[in-house]
Amino acid sequence: MEHNHNGHASPLILSARDVEVRFNLRGRTLTAVRGASLDLYEGETLAIVGESGCGKSVFTKSFIGMLDKNGAVTGGKILYRGEDLTAYKTEAEWLRVRGKKIAMVFQDPMTSLNPVRTIGEQITEVITWHFGTEHEEAKREAIEILKRVGIADAQTRYKQYPNEFSGGMRQRVVIATAIACRPEILICDEPTTALDVTVQAQILRLIKDLQKELKMTVVYITHDLGVVANVADWVGVMYAGQIIEYGTVHEIFKEPVHPYTRALLQSLPQLGVRGHALYSIQGTPPSLFKEIRGDAFAPRNPDAMEIEFEQEPPQFEVSPTHWAKTWLLHPYAQDHRRALEEAEAQRRAERAEPTQPFVYETAEKLLEVKGLTVKFKLGGREFRAVNDVSFDIYKGETLSLVGESGSGKTTIGRAVMRVYNSNVSGEILYQGQPIVGKISKDKMKALRMEMQMIFQDPMASLNERAKVDYIISEGLYNYHLFENEADRLRKVEEIMQEVGLSKDFSSRFPHEFSGGQRQRIGIARSLVMNPNFIVADEPISALDVSIRAQVINLLNKLKRERGLTYLFIAHDLSVVRFISDRIAVINKGRIVELATCDELFDRPLHPYTRALLSAVPYPDPDRERDKELLVYDPAMHNYRDNPPQWTEIVPGHFILANQEELDIYRKELEG
Amino acid sequence: MENAKTPNPILDPLKFRAAVFDNIGSEDAGFSNYSYWRSTLRTFFRNKMVLLLVALVLALIVMSLVYPLVSDVDPNKVSLMPLEWNLRPSAEHWFGTDALGRDIWTRAWYGVRNSFALAFCIALSDVGIGMIAGALWGYNKKLDPFMIELYNIMTNIPSTVYLVLLAYIMNTSYLTLFISMASRGWIVEARFFRNRILSLRDNEYNIASKCLGTPVWRIATRNIIPHIISLIIMEAALCIPYSIGSEVFMGFVGVGMPVEAITLGNIVNQGRASFTLHPYQMLLPTIILCIITVAFYVIGNKFADASDPRNHV
Amino acid sequence: MTRYVLSRILRSLLTVIIVFVTVFMLLRLMPLTGYFPQEMLKEADEATRISYLRNQGLLDHPFVQLGRFVKNLFQGDLGRSLTVYPKVPISTLLQEKIPVTAAFGFSSLVLGIVLGVSLGLLMVRYKDRWGDRLGTLYIVTVRAVPNLIYLFFIQVWVSKWLNLPLVYYKDRPESWILPTICLALGSIAYYALWLRRFMVDEENRDYVKFAQVKGLPKKVVLRRHVFKNAVIPLVIYLPSDLLFIISGSLVIESLYAIPGTGGLLTNAIKSQDNPLVQVIVLMYAVLSVIGVFLGDMLVAFVDPRIKLTEGE
Repeated sequence: MEHNHNGHASPLILSARDVEVRFNLRGRTLTAVRGASLDLYEGETLAIVGESGCGKSVFTKSFIGMLDKNGAVTGGKILYRGEDLTAYKTEAEWLRVRGKKIAMVFQDPMTSLNPVRTIGEQITEVITWHFGTEHEEAKREAIEILKRVGIADAQTRYKQYPNEFSGGMRQRVVIATAIACRPEILICDEPTTALDVTVQAQILRLIKDLQKELKMTVVYITHDLGVVANVADWVGVMYAGQIIEYGTVHEIFKEPVHPYTRALLQSLPQLGVRGHALYSIQGTPPSLFKEIRGDAFAPRNPDAMEIEFEQEPPQFEVSPTHWAKTWLLHPYAQDHRRALEEAEAQRRAERAEPTQPFVYETAEKLLEVKGLTVKFKLGGREFRAVNDVSFDIYKGETLSLVGESGSGKTTIGRAVMRVYNSNVSGEILYQGQPIVGKISKDKMKALRMEMQMIFQDPMASLNERAKVDYIISEGLYNYHLFENEADRLRKVEEIMQEVGLSKDFSSRFPHEFSGGQRQRIGIARSLVMNPNFIVADEPISALDVSIRAQVINLLNKLKRERGLTYLFIAHDLSVVRFISDRIAVINKGRIVELATCDELFDRPLHPYTRALLSAVPYPDPDRERDKELLVYDPAMHNYRDNPPQWTEIVPGHFILANQEELDIYRKELEG
Repeated sequence: MENAKTPNPILDPLKFRAAVFDNIGSEDAGFSNYSYWRSTLRTFFRNKMVLLLVALVLALIVMSLVYPLVSDVDPNKVSLMPLEWNLRPSAEHWFGTDALGRDIWTRAWYGVRNSFALAFCIALSDVGIGMIAGALWGYNKKLDPFMIELYNIMTNIPSTVYLVLLAYIMNTSYLTLFISMASRGWIVEARFFRNRILSLRDNEYNIASKCLGTPVWRIATRNIIPHIISLIIMEAALCIPYSIGSEVFMGFVGVGMPVEAITLGNIVNQGRASFTLHPYQMLLPTIILCIITVAFYVIGNKFADASDPRNHV
Repeated sequence: MTRYVLSRILRSLLTVIIVFVTVFMLLRLMPLTGYFPQEMLKEADEATRISYLRNQGLLDHPFVQLGRFVKNLFQGDLGRSLTVYPKVPISTLLQEKIPVTAAFGFSSLVLGIVLGVSLGLLMVRYKDRWGDRLGTLYIVTVRAVPNLIYLFFIQVWVSKWLNLPLVYYKDRPESWILPTICLALGSIAYYALWLRRFMVDEENRDYVKFAQVKGLPKKVVLRRHVFKNAVIPLVIYLPSDLLFIISGSLVIESLYAIPGTGGLLTNAIKSQDNPLVQVIVLMYAVLSVIGVFLGDMLVAFVDPRIKLTEGE
């Protein structure tokens, strides 16, 4: 075994070798993990990054014997301090490890805690169970830990139930519970995916601090390369049930060798250049129900070699700390590699031309929103999801609306689409015509054909019981936009081709498709109406990283070819930067700042925008390491005596601020 | 350097050439030609017991429909000869005769037919009215306070007390029984469907349809009903044992069908009176009754299980 | 919390009033023959009958009758029985019968909860094995077969088998056993069915997995975490269980000749005793509303999640 530590400062603590995990799903076998290997050294942080369904979560669950009942480790070894965990059969054996040695934090803090027991009980029980501590003593300890994870007023909070905590606070409690018995290894399974970016940054920092303090080894499971860059010392890239590349965070981000890793990094919108097509990975990840031959990524790799379809590559060492499973590293592949490098260099040379910025002076206003307010009733009380919001959208631009969950960004999109009725006040003009309130049937029809919407969740936005053919034709049927059946079929085929779907798919049901394909079906459904304006409600946030680029490129292509205008709703500023002409930042139902993309990133004024920008994880370890977190506290505004106004502080740059603040901002802009 | 563990077969250098990229192949996410209904039915009928029960119920229904047509025995023919009263089962009278010399075998089939027809009507009206009311209720917020209050009032009275009271107020007949059961059952179903529709209504695909300008009737037929049709079938199946049970109960309390009506409830209740002396008079019709109620109960529940995609193969 | 309780009390009060009035109006539709004492029904002619009805105030406007009834109610006068117990004041009857029904109802409620929860736990423990299957068989039987049928067979066969009395005797406690169990049979199935379902549902939740990851054995997790979560929704079912027992008492009290209110209602209907029917039906309706109210209160009391949503 590797006793030379391979560049690690500390001894090996856990080593997984060729682990295979199979699930039995009603007679069919799913090989979720297909011989994955991994080494973990004391006190270090390893991030396992991969798309959904690649087996990363299952792989780590096998370290603590928490696979679902129908799954089992069917091959390989997991050595924890020399002991093979795969040999464990009984619960009693696992109890020696779980919690005490290896602890785990789950993705969703909302469901990880028992809703009907106080958080204090849930922490204390770990301490009393593992150490046999007296209850009073354990309680004192639990309160200490709560304080440590940043929960103010821990004495009172101890007696509260999980529903009295916000998502971020709950995740802190979950972490407190997990570290209550001082585990050696802490596995964090997407610990921040369900949280807002600003909260995410705080939680990541907390885990880092705790790790240093308690000398823990931490394993992150995540799909977010920004998070990886922020936290990891070591990175394992997982694809189709295997770790295909492993190395230090710098090696993975700066010198990736596996085609999948390279493609993944290239396709990140954060790293793209506006106005250009992103590098995109074709196709979808393979089904793990089927036997996979050769390199699992080969079918999606346009530069694959013949051997990659036939034989599984072994691990090739790139450096003592870096290995990858790809035939590209074989001496025979030298010629092929050289050809690829040349092609790459050529691509890079072609890309370096400047883009035309959107010209606002001559642009015509397509949509005008004035004083939009949307009210909802919740538990008998009324609240404003959107509060006095105004903005314009110009023909041909992409305006992005960025905010955290519950900020009202989706509500604005839906209000524009007339999804709500009576609870909307204010004015919305489309091409100068008011579209709020009662409008005639003909106008409504014209409007529906002008404006369409693309939805966030490709799983929820398609009717499971209808075939693709019906889903795409729905708009055609509604307004009878076809002459005869043949004409309708032709239109459906055309549109499917335009979004890159095979026309054979039209007789299938939506659940046959992967997330990216489903999203393209959703896009086809709106496009078939031939609209000019599209509200895109987080169309990529539910998609895997390797799929996002496809959809972004598709949206940009359509914008170019059809002259579309987008209202793009998102929560991730860094993604939005690539596609937007202008960005509006929304917080608690009010737009706080609106400016062109560059202006907003170069000269953010509102403290909330700044906090958001500082919190967004960026997929570059150098940049992430020494970033400074800004925290936004709404109490800093003195709005009671001096209410804020929506003001154009410099041409094209709007901000929500009161007079006092405006003076400060102006000074900043000048200075 | 290669990892020592992996076997190293002899490699062909020619294989290290660029392969042809297959666009369609890269899109392959594992197509399995899955259809919701096919899978539901397959899962449903995979269960041997379900298969047996469905066959049994079908046989019973067919028999009860056909028998009265082909048989020339009058189920109401009263014999004046005491010799023909209370006969034990024999070749001539398969289930024996009752205290008035009526052939119980014949009466049982007429009873199955009549009771089943009644139960079927009740199930149809409960689920039918319930679904329509539930849809209106779910889609119209203004109806909500009124409907909830109505629901509370109707379900706050114990069902048996309600049934007995209504049947007592009206003269007993098939129609009475139908009205008293149907007048209460619909609101329970309506509430059930309302909750389902509420959870479906705000799904993104319904909002998508709204944005596409899909008329409400098409949203209902294409987006909502296909998702709740399995619930409709299940609820209808579960209505049947309930209404047959209620009929028996009302006969017992004394507000059931008039004596001359041949229903399973009446046969069972009449048989009960002479049970200690002639147990077969009650036992045999009771068995048929139980088969029907149990079969529908099990079928309804198993169908609900099978219609859940999580249980699909 | 107090605001929630108060608003809930007010709403229940309103429901009681609405239910009371509705049922009272419905009762006005009862067959008029049920208002006559037996001898008059046989002998009197049409004119005498009408004058009798008028005398009794039964031809007045329903709301006048309602007002009179409520006024008498507050004076403790519920009218008199006509045919079942001729001329006996109904209040006296109820005083005699309510304790019997309440005793049976309460003991079978407790029995139902205890046995039902135990059966449910047993089924979870032996999920997909024989214990579970037998339990399911029991549940299906009780829920699918009309209760009258199995109750009847229990009375006839089980009493013979265990050598227990066929009917109720005031002074023979062994004769109380079967009716109590019979009354509880439905609730047992009910609790077992739902507890099993909730436990199985809860078992797949994240917090259960998280508790296991903390290093607690499955058994402890089931006891400390899953059980409480599964029992809370069961509490919601308590009121409907009460309705269940009321319904059951109608049959069981007549079968075993128990002198309670359930059997009294059956008798009153069979012998067309309108005043008696009216009082008992109204009593049951009001009782049910109160039951639902108490169930809601109990849930709010045991479920920490409710306080917050209502308290803000």
